[in-house]
Amino acid sequence: MSTVTENLYLLTPEFLLAALALLVFALDLVLPESRKTWLAWIGMAGLTALAIFSVRMLAGRTESLYGGLLAVDQFSLFFKVFFMGLGVFIILSSVDFVKQHLSHPGEFYGILLFSILGMNMMAQARELVTAYIALELLSFSLYVLTAYARGNPKSNEAALKYIIIGAFSTAVLLYGISMIYSVAGSTHFDALAETLSSPGQAGPVLWVGVAFLVAGLGFKLAAVPFHMWAPDVYEGAPLPVTAYLAIASKAGAAALALRLISEGLVPAREVWPHWQIILAALAAASMLVGNLVALAQRNLKRLMAYSSIGHVGYLLAGMAALNIGGGMAANGIIFYLVGYAATSLVVFAALISFFNQTGQEEIADLAGLADRQPLLAAAIAIGLFSLAGLPIFAGFTIKFYLFAAVAQGGFLWLAGLAIFSSLISLYYYLQVIRQMYIQPVPGTAPDASGHGEEPSHTASHGQAVAGHASETAAAALRTPTGMLLAVVVAGLVAVLALGVYPGPLLEAIERASQVILPGI
Amino acid sequence: MAPLVYFQILSAALFVIGLYGVLARRSAVLVVMSIELMLNAVNINLIAAASHLEGQGRFLNFDGHIIAIFVITIAAAEIGLALAIILRMYRNRATVDVDEINLMKW
Amino acid sequence: MVLQDIIFWLLAAIMLAAALGVVLVRDLFRAALLLVTVFLAVAGFFVLLSAQFLAVVQVLVYAGAVAILLVFAVMLTKDVARGNQPNRLRLPAAGLAGLALAVFIAVAVTTGWTPLPPSVQEQAALVQTQASGGTTPEGLEQAGISGEVQRSQAQRATLADLLLGEYVVPFEAVSVLLLAAAVGSLALLRGRPQG
Repeated sequence: MSTVTENLYLLTPEFLLAALALLVFALDLVLPESRKTWLAWIGMAGLTALAIFSVRMLAGRTESLYGGLLAVDQFSLFFKVFFMGLGVFIILSSVDFVKQHLSHPGEFYGILLFSILGMNMMAQARELVTAYIALELLSFSLYVLTAYARGNPKSNEAALKYIIIGAFSTAVLLYGISMIYSVAGSTHFDALAETLSSPGQAGPVLWVGVAFLVAGLGFKLAAVPFHMWAPDVYEGAPLPVTAYLAIASKAGAAALALRLISEGLVPAREVWPHWQIILAALAAASMLVGNLVALAQRNLKRLMAYSSIGHVGYLLAGMAALNIGGGMAANGIIFYLVGYAATSLVVFAALISFFNQTGQEEIADLAGLADRQPLLAAAIAIGLFSLAGLPIFAGFTIKFYLFAAVAQGGFLWLAGLAIFSSLISLYYYLQVIRQMYIQPVPGTAPDASGHGEEPSHTASHGQAVAGHASETAAAALRTPTGMLLAVVVAGLVAVLALGVYPGPLLEAIERASQVILPGI
Repeated sequence: MAPLVYFQILSAALFVIGLYGVLARRSAVLVVMSIELMLNAVNINLIAAASHLEGQGRFLNFDGHIIAIFVITIAAAEIGLALAIILRMYRNRATVDVDEINLMKW
Repeated sequence: MVLQDIIFWLLAAIMLAAALGVVLVRDLFRAALLLVTVFLAVAGFFVLLSAQFLAVVQVLVYAGAVAILLVFAVMLTKDVARGNQPNRLRLPAAGLAGLALAVFIAVAVTTGWTPLPPSVQEQAALVQTQASGGTTPEGLEQAGISGEVQRSQAQRATLADLLLGEYVVPFEAVSVLLLAAAVGSLALLRGRPQG
């Protein structure tokens, strides 16, 4: 049938990505155990090639496929490249971890590639069911990856909680979709906008449906009050997966929400503006709860979980301010996602490096890191400063841009609240930095008494206690391994570049957001 | 045929029974079953709506049926995965009681 | 019509009773069996709504595969012994569920649904009945679908055409998703590879 194959070639990047995942699965069967790292390199090379290919093939195109089911446009292209790039860095930072801590590497990388495929589809979907299936593809992959540390009860527990809450939120989301369908007769985003603008007598069903839809997406984004799964899942999941959850899955859900809101809710703003209030309330709650509860955390992963809930609050504030002709908010959200991703990559890559060497993940364990591993400590410190939004780093420009857009969109109080909660976040980020730079190395005292040796900051420290098991571990891996180092350095460069000279990226972002919010 | 409202109320009743089961039961397997109840409620809603709707530019509106097929498929896959994780959990901890799964505070 | 109404109320009673049983009985194994009853009752509703194909899928996938998986899970985890106990959230959960039900009913009742005219409903039922197989010209004639445009539209409305036409990309995405779920489940449960 001609209608089926007409534009199918526009989805070539997606088909190739699926093929890449299958290739990884197939090679996994024939490669000997010692060569499994090749799979990671194949995945990364494939992703890079696909990102370049997508740009060359799709730049400048705006097409709608299958009666508006999917959109292949600049918005989805931007996110495709973004997701594939993130995938490269996530794989790069998980190679060592997978080798040390996880079995079945082939399935790990293959499923990771599937999840990237899911995110690419999420950025393209213009219809609720397609969006739901793409979201499920991402979620299924994440459930599996969360459970991947198979012998670790915490990982099992995290995965169980994640899949139960995930399936529950899916049911809620689907019930919302079914209510919208029962009124609109269609699940396309633009049909939703049309029906919302002239609901007739069907108003209440539609509103409840949209509320359920928002709740379902809120679960996936971990916005307060749908956030209770996030800290446990982040803590239990293997560290690279935590990084992936914090960065990529959030960006995927945000891309989906951005298109849904722009095409489905913004056009109905005149008739039914309440969705903005709902989003603003979720945003305010997420900012405050995320950042305040983060103050009490002692585990690094939980700290990052609550901090990411706070960041979701900022994103939601931007979404509440979306408006026709107010493309600044859309730009701000996308810019924020990119800057947040770069910054989090730095922090997580450094933490993975730290974990690979020591097996520790409490904040207290970081004590004295600045002496033992100055580069790692500096990277974490810069990342955290950027997350808190200090100038010259990406965190400042992205926050400035987003909060300005929020204030301009008529939510001055929300922008004020965002600045206030950023200040709170600075406090707990500084606590971590204090641990690294001011606290002495724990266990130095017993070491020193045992060896009659001076504190750890002397140059000869490494040799002096070389016989000591834990110290050898620290000494042997004084610098992060090449791959993690590459991630850290690339992330740092991006953080600084975005902080100082964001111009070119912003131009690309404007091209992307013009597609979903025309008339800017 | 019974009016659409009856089907919707029926579906709502099934959905909230599932909701109660998810929130109030301790066995992870039963929580999964309750989620299935909720998904069945969604399907009733979809099919009932499909048979009462005008067809949006088509002669008839079958989108609801398609969505229901997708929902059934994905729900089956979800169950399989959830049970894999539950079994993994059971091998490590010898329990699937949601209240005892508390290495980490909720 | 009367017969259909009787069947509707009968199925509704069975389904709701069985669903309540699933969340309330103490024996997990019985809960699984009651769940199968719910699935079958839902399939009955699909037939009432002239969605025969969906009814068959429901019986095959839910009442067949899913139910067996669940029974396996109940047996393998030896959860049967402990039974289906409530947790301490029982009262708040019941309150929340009651509240949600009240909201749903209020919303459904206050909304003025505009049903299709009965003649169109009958046509719809006919096309849906045949939707899984493709609609024959005679069938359409019988239902009073005569116009050329209408007929071609009715014939293109079959499930297969939709599933492999407009919805082909979600369809393929679902197949990828099933693969991901299968590979993932295996990776989680398979033993450590030797060597």
